[in-house]
Amino acid sequence: MESLISYVVNVISLGGTYALLALGLAVVFSVLGLINFAHGELMTLTGYVLLAGILMGQPFWLAVLIAVIAGGVSAALMEFAAFRPVRNASGATLLMTSFAVSMLLQVIFQNGISPRGQAVPVPAWLTTSISVGVSQISKVQIMSITVGLVALIFLKFFFDRSYWGWAIKAAANDFEIVGLMGIKASRLITFAFLLSGLLAGIAGVLWVVQRGSVDPLMGFKPVLAAFIVAVIGGLGSLTGAVFGGFILSSIEIALQTWLPANVMPYREAITYTIVVLILSVFPNGIFGKRVQEKV
Amino acid sequence: MKYKNRPSLVMKSIVSLSAVMLVAACSSGDTESTEASGGSGEACAVKVGIASSQTGSLAYIDVPNLEGFEMWAEQVNAAGGVDGKFTIENVVKDTRSDAAQSATVAAELLGQEISFLITPGDADPSIAAGQLAQDAGVPAVSWFGSSPILPLAVGDRMFSNAFGDNAQAKVLADYATDKGFKTAYTLGSPDSAYTNLLPGFFKEAFEANGGTVVGEGQFSMGQASFSVIVDQIKAISPAPDVIMTPAYEPDFPTFIKALRGAGVTSVVLGTDGIDSPTTLALADIAEGVLYTTAGVLKNEGKMATFYTDYNAKYGKDPETIYAVTGYEMGMTLEAAIKSAQSCSAEAIWQAWTNLEGVQGITGPISYKGGDRMAIREIALIEIKNSERTLFGTFAPDPATVPKAQL
Repeated sequence: MESLISYVVNVISLGGTYALLALGLAVVFSVLGLINFAHGELMTLTGYVLLAGILMGQPFWLAVLIAVIAGGVSAALMEFAAFRPVRNASGATLLMTSFAVSMLLQVIFQNGISPRGQAVPVPAWLTTSISVGVSQISKVQIMSITVGLVALIFLKFFFDRSYWGWAIKAAANDFEIVGLMGIKASRLITFAFLLSGLLAGIAGVLWVVQRGSVDPLMGFKPVLAAFIVAVIGGLGSLTGAVFGGFILSSIEIALQTWLPANVMPYREAITYTIVVLILSVFPNGIFGKRVQEKV
Repeated sequence: MKYKNRPSLVMKSIVSLSAVMLVAACSSGDTESTEASGGSGEACAVKVGIASSQTGSLAYIDVPNLEGFEMWAEQVNAAGGVDGKFTIENVVKDTRSDAAQSATVAAELLGQEISFLITPGDADPSIAAGQLAQDAGVPAVSWFGSSPILPLAVGDRMFSNAFGDNAQAKVLADYATDKGFKTAYTLGSPDSAYTNLLPGFFKEAFEANGGTVVGEGQFSMGQASFSVIVDQIKAISPAPDVIMTPAYEPDFPTFIKALRGAGVTSVVLGTDGIDSPTTLALADIAEGVLYTTAGVLKNEGKMATFYTDYNAKYGKDPETIYAVTGYEMGMTLEAAIKSAQSCSAEAIWQAWTNLEGVQGITGPISYKGGDRMAIREIALIEIKNSERTLFGTFAPDPATVPKAQL
């Protein structure tokens, strides 16, 4: 029972972060057909801004707020400086641009700040646990779950009720329709990057608070996980991104919890094998659209 | 018609240019060969190829090592070279913390007739680069790759500036035994030779001392959370006396935060990978953590001069002991060149193999009679009040150290 409670807590905690990350990728993919691999570096940037805010003596909540906003603004600037000039180029060009931006930011972090990780001092109250029945849940996990779920609920309302939410959902279905609705493509794309950056910022804060440090390469693993999540859910599907986040986290946590020790080194290989099996049943992802091309 | 048998102006230019280039190449080759061999005590330049991870996940170890080494080279050259005649010429290339790139870079450097190759501070890329040096007959030394399989996997030209992981595991196991700890939990990762083999060396040494390893966990480097592992440790009853892990940043801070956050108070033993300000910045969470490393980084004693020089060159204090070990790599090379009285790769290799008691900043360094890992003292550090405190320095008896096997 104790192990089941721990399992559920860990799945929700990790799944929420994965969902936020994958949503960030999905939003941009919806409007531009691009998987932005520099999304992870937005997380890293958020971590450094959070660290700077804390070191400058700002209250923790204010440092978090500034860091998340920095993530959003940086994403919009990234779109303006790197992706707008190649917007009409092929998908491969956009993809290469995202890799280039990712590597450029990594090198800037390494040479401009430090190749070493930097410890991020989080408030002491976040480093303790509370008892839930026979289990103990760390406050970082509670914060992670709370922030993740609040953000997902907010996004649900945003996509269902707001003008820009509808526009992004419409773009996910058919980008040309958005133009017919009278929405300027440039504005929508900039807005999508802004939203994506804010999501990267929230996920980045959760990641850094949980891990306790930020380093130049921090964004690589999360963005890889987010990409897998987005593919499982169905590229471009916002619902799928959330769903995929919890699927991947439930697989990863289950394997880590119950896999025999002698098989543990194969954990990641088993995870990806399961992902491939899922994709063999749902080739376009669980919520993905079936694409048919005329011959 | 008469012009048909005459070479065109373009053809004549190509032939002339080729001839000039050939002559230039030959004369340049002659010069380099003279400089490189420089036998019998003649003045020459030792060309050092440095395949260093200036970017990527190993930059945290290679960048400070290079800083220390370049500082040494600058000082030696300012004094006219080793023994006033053997100058140092560094050629640095970034391996981007990637094994394949390390091999590519090593091939490029070996193509420039280097006499000595420095490889990244980890076994995997060093093996890739070292194998090429082995074939070329050039001595290769890792910045601080501490896995003892490194020289075994490459051959007699491969060395490391670090003590072996089996030796540092022995120091940790002896400490645990001396403190009366009976049970231990080890946490490793299959993602690198360092994180994969160290827990096994510790287990072997600890169990040889009479202790019991009650649990062995594994993590993936860079994984999001250690909650599951901490839950597994909490489920062990009675709790292990000591937890040993070679995890380093960014994994170590995540692990220890989760561990202490869950109320687990077992003593944590780490290895040289956590000897960094990031660990110290964890404040109360890292209090009482012990780890092995090359020495105590403090602006006092023998290290005071290094601090002054480093500050003068880089405008900051060294952040990790790796800056010191990089300088010590230079001091060891200096001893080898002095002994070889030559700039040739072969002579330097022979001298390096027989080095004994080279006085470094952290202590004496030897290779003679060893397994091509540096024979040097191992410092056991305890974190107290967010500062490094020396618990003791140890030189484990090679006969009792767990044996490394490929």
